[in-house]
Amino acid sequence: MTDAPLAPGRPPIGMTLAALLRADFTVLARTPQVLVTNLAVPIIFIVATSFGKRDFAEPGTLIGLALSYGTMSAGMLGYSTLVAQDRASGVFQRLRVTPTPSWAIMASRIVVQLVSAVVMTVLGVVVGSIAHGVVYEWHQYLAVLGVSLLGAAMFLCTGQAIVGLLRSPASVNAVGRVLFILLIISGILGSIGVLGDWFTVFSQWTPVGALTSLYAVAFGAAWSDATTAGAIMVPVYAVVCAFVGIRFFRWESR
Amino acid sequence: MADGAPSRDDVLSVDGLVVRYGSRVAVDGLSFSIGRGEIFGLLGPNGAGKTSTLSVIEGLQSPAAGTVLVDGQDAIRAPLAAKARLGVQLQASSFQPELGLEQLVRLYAGLYGLRLSGDGIRDRIEDAGLGDERAKRFKSLSGGQQQRFSLLIATLPRPLLMLLDEPTQGLDPQSRRQLWARIEGLRGEGGAILLTTHSMEEAQAVCDRIAIIDHGRLLATGSPAALIAEYREDPRVVRLARGEVTLEDVFIALTGSSIRD
Repeated sequence: MTDAPLAPGRPPIGMTLAALLRADFTVLARTPQVLVTNLAVPIIFIVATSFGKRDFAEPGTLIGLALSYGTMSAGMLGYSTLVAQDRASGVFQRLRVTPTPSWAIMASRIVVQLVSAVVMTVLGVVVGSIAHGVVYEWHQYLAVLGVSLLGAAMFLCTGQAIVGLLRSPASVNAVGRVLFILLIISGILGSIGVLGDWFTVFSQWTPVGALTSLYAVAFGAAWSDATTAGAIMVPVYAVVCAFVGIRFFRWESR
Repeated sequence: MADGAPSRDDVLSVDGLVVRYGSRVAVDGLSFSIGRGEIFGLLGPNGAGKTSTLSVIEGLQSPAAGTVLVDGQDAIRAPLAAKARLGVQLQASSFQPELGLEQLVRLYAGLYGLRLSGDGIRDRIEDAGLGDERAKRFKSLSGGQQQRFSLLIATLPRPLLMLLDEPTQGLDPQSRRQLWARIEGLRGEGGAILLTTHSMEEAQAVCDRIAIIDHGRLLATGSPAALIAEYREDPRVVRLARGEVTLEDVFIALTGSSIRD
C-alpha cells in the first residue's frame, strides 16, 4: 500500500470500461457451456442441414434460423442467467460499491454479448456458404451482420425483461428455458411450414420468425409481408422488453 | 470531531439519516461524524440499523432523509465521487467465480483508476499472504483467505475511509491479528475506519470512538473508556456488571438483554 493516493478522484470512464470488458470477456471465455450453446450448436445445425435432401427451406432461411438460435441463446439465456446469478451471489453489490457507474456494469456485459453475436454470425455465414455451396456478396454479409446485431439486441432486451421481472436465478433459468423452447419451436415449425399457413403467418410475428424473415432478405430473398412483419416486430419487441427490463430491474435479489 | 456540524477534518459526516423499508423505519435520524485517522465502531444488536447506515454511505441504498458527506463529497447526490474515497468490505463479499485472484485484482484496480503491472498485482496478493493462491478462484479459498482477499480489494485504492461490516466474523485469532495490523497501517497513513462488530472486546480494544445504536437511533457515543466512565454508576449497568465494568455491560444496559433476530 505505497503507490496510490489516499484521496483519489473518480477514475476515467475509459479505464473503468476497459477493466469491466476485460473481466467480462474472460468470464465468457471461461464458460464452456456458453461457447457450446452460442457457437457450436448453430454451426452444427448449419452443417447438418446441408446434407441429404435440402428442398424444405432455402439455405438463407436455414442459416438465419441457426443464427437466430445463437443470438437467442446468448441474449435470452446466457445473459439473463449470468445477471441473475451475479445479482444473487453479491457480485453486483461488490462492483457497485466501487466508483463505477451502474450503466457501465451493464454496458460491458451487453457489449460482450454483441461481440459474441458478431463472431457467431461471421462463423455461421462462412461455414454456411461452404456447407450449402452458396456464394454471398459483401453487402449481404454486412446485411446479415446488421440483422444479427438487431436480433442480439432484441434477445438481450428479452433477457433483461426476464431478470427485471424475476428475482431468483432458478426462476430466471426456468422461465428463460421454457420461453426459449417455445420461441425456437414456433420459429422452426413456422419457417418450414409443416403446421399450415395459419401457423406460418403467426410464426412470422414471433421473435424468432420475425428475425428469420429479416435474415432471409439479408441473404437475398425478395421483400415480402413476412419481412415487413419482421421489420416491425423486432424493434417493437426490443423496445417493449427494454422498457420492462429497465423499469422493473433491481440490483438486489431480495 | 464533535457529532453535529461537519468540521474540515471530518472524513465522514452523517446527519439526520433516515432509512425506511416500506413502513418500517430502519434508521431514524442518525447523526455522527468520523475524523481523519480515527477508528470508529458502530455497535448495535441485530436489526439496529448498522448495515442500513453502511448501505447508504456505500451508495447501495437511498435514504428517506438526511445527508452523508464523505471527505466533503455528497454521497447521495454525487455517489461516484464519494465512492472513489471509500474502501468497502461487505459482510458477505462475492467476486466473479470464473476469475482468478490476479484477474480480480486487475479488475478492481481498473475500477479505482489504478494502473498496476503484473508484478504490482502479484506483490499485492503476496502482501495479503495469498501468494500461493494467486491462480486460484475466490470460491476455492478458505474463509480466512476470502476475508483477507476482500480486505485486499477494499484497501487497494488506499481509501480515505474504510467501511468494514463485521470484518472479523469467522476469522481465527491469527487472521484477526493480521487484519488489525493492516487496518492500523491504513490508519497510520491518515485513513479512517468505520466498522461494525458484535464483539465488544474488539470494539473496546481497537476503536477510538464508538456509537451505540438501536432501532435506528443513536443511544450513546464517545470513546469506550468515556462511555464506561459515564455509565459506570447507571443502575442498569451496576446490575449487569460482574466485577470491572466493561463496554459489553454498557451496551446491554442501553440496548436491553432480549435476543434479536
